[in-house]
Amino acid sequence: MATGNGTLQGKVAIITGGGTGLGKMTALLMAKEGADIVVAARRVGAIEQTAKEVRDIGPRALAIPTDVTDPAQVNNLVKRTLAEMGGLDILVNNAGIVRGQERRPLWEVTDEDWRIGIDTNLSGAFYCCRAAIKHFVDQGHGKIINVASGNGVRGARGDFMYGTAKAGLINFTRVLATTFAQENIQVNCIAPGFINVFNLQPEPSTRERPGTSPFIPVGRFGVPEDIGHLALFLASDASNYITGVLFANDGGGLAGGIAPTGYAPVIAMEED
Amino acid sequence: MVAKDFNLGGKIALVAGDSKYWSKYAGAALAEAGADVAITARNTKRLEQTAEEVRRQGQKILAISTDTTDAAQVQKMVDQVVTEFGRIDILVNANELLLAKPFLETTEAEWRRVLDTNLNSAFNCCQAVGRQMLKQERGRIINLISCLAERGVENFSAYCAAMGGVLQLTRALNIEWARHGITVNAIGTGWMSETDQTGAPQEELLLKYIPLKRYGHPGEVGSLLVYLASDTTDFLTGQFLYVDGAAMSHL
Repeated sequence: MATGNGTLQGKVAIITGGGTGLGKMTALLMAKEGADIVVAARRVGAIEQTAKEVRDIGPRALAIPTDVTDPAQVNNLVKRTLAEMGGLDILVNNAGIVRGQERRPLWEVTDEDWRIGIDTNLSGAFYCCRAAIKHFVDQGHGKIINVASGNGVRGARGDFMYGTAKAGLINFTRVLATTFAQENIQVNCIAPGFINVFNLQPEPSTRERPGTSPFIPVGRFGVPEDIGHLALFLASDASNYITGVLFANDGGGLAGGIAPTGYAPVIAMEED
Repeated sequence: MVAKDFNLGGKIALVAGDSKYWSKYAGAALAEAGADVAITARNTKRLEQTAEEVRRQGQKILAISTDTTDAAQVQKMVDQVVTEFGRIDILVNANELLLAKPFLETTEAEWRRVLDTNLNSAFNCCQAVGRQMLKQERGRIINLISCLAERGVENFSAYCAAMGGVLQLTRALNIEWARHGITVNAIGTGWMSETDQTGAPQEELLLKYIPLKRYGHPGEVGSLLVYLASDTTDFLTGQFLYVDGAAMSHL
């Protein structure tokens, strides 16, 4: 049964990429606060499992296999949600892939790599927002939460499609927020840092792992709850005056990043 | 009511600010979420009145009058809070002294006063409370500042400089204390008012610069404050987050 305080009671949320990782955790945390959940992703087994766990908590759940890069499937997702759940209040655009992340020269990136990277990480969110927002406007409220990445704020080496698409998603958030502010639709963006969705063992060895831990000031990977709780906050009425904002939840990574964690010179003040 | 996971039951918060505005709204939000709250400000009489209002939330409220620009007074105040409550889980720095006048007319004394109240108070409180939080290996510091920490507005030179100082203090302390369980974040408030501004002369400005087309109410900052103060934000640190009706995201 729902074990929270019911702050999302009576709300319906669509969570794309909800079969695993951050999306799944977001689904479960929202369900605990009473929200009915529609899980959308390509892998049927994973979304069915999330839906089952939501139902075990208490609220209703629907698993709708969806490839967000296909506008027809996205339109169907929203249509079925409205028909079968009777409403839609919250849209979490969490689907994304890190395809083409291997570092290689730009001239070896194919048209297909580029198209898939941009489609999955940016166009998919556009299709979902387009399909849902008319309903939000008509009912006079709505919450959109876009899951981007720190890679969309700062450039990561060789990260062409993903970083570019996520940067696009961040500003798409601002454009939507500005456009629909008066329609009582809040649109915000989350930039997760390194989140441990694979149950890697982070301590103590990764404290020293080159390329990872020196860029996380708190010294650990994030866990899915870190992101899920933020999505929960942004989905609730507690955030009704917050829109168009990028929330980095990254262990302090983006706030630093100009020197490795631990770089701490001592320089005496010189009075003249 | 806040979601259960954001509950602050059993936590001790210290709000350092003015006697009637942020101490009231920040104090009430934290108390409503279950925290026991110490509020501190200079004006003793008004602080007591504010404490009475916050007390209606039902939690234990301690009011201590302090000039937070004075490090020795801050240390004494923090010692008193720790003696009374045993620890400090949440520090909210909410000092705000406004000054707006042309830069060339700003006197040195005014400049120093604005920096003293807005910036140096945060230094004093972070230092005294930080020592306690380092002992606890856990803590939340939330600097309640203005979006003007990142944007310039004519005639706000001293204020912008001071707010920008607190923002960079936020980022620097985040790095320094991240591995000691202390998160340090800043909330940037947009155009705020306790009263409805519809029809006011500045409405045209609102229409141009606030996508939401209205001032925020200071009470609307409380929910983000509670979220940042909760146990769910161990990984969220060093950030500057706005409650501004999308003013900052607007081109």
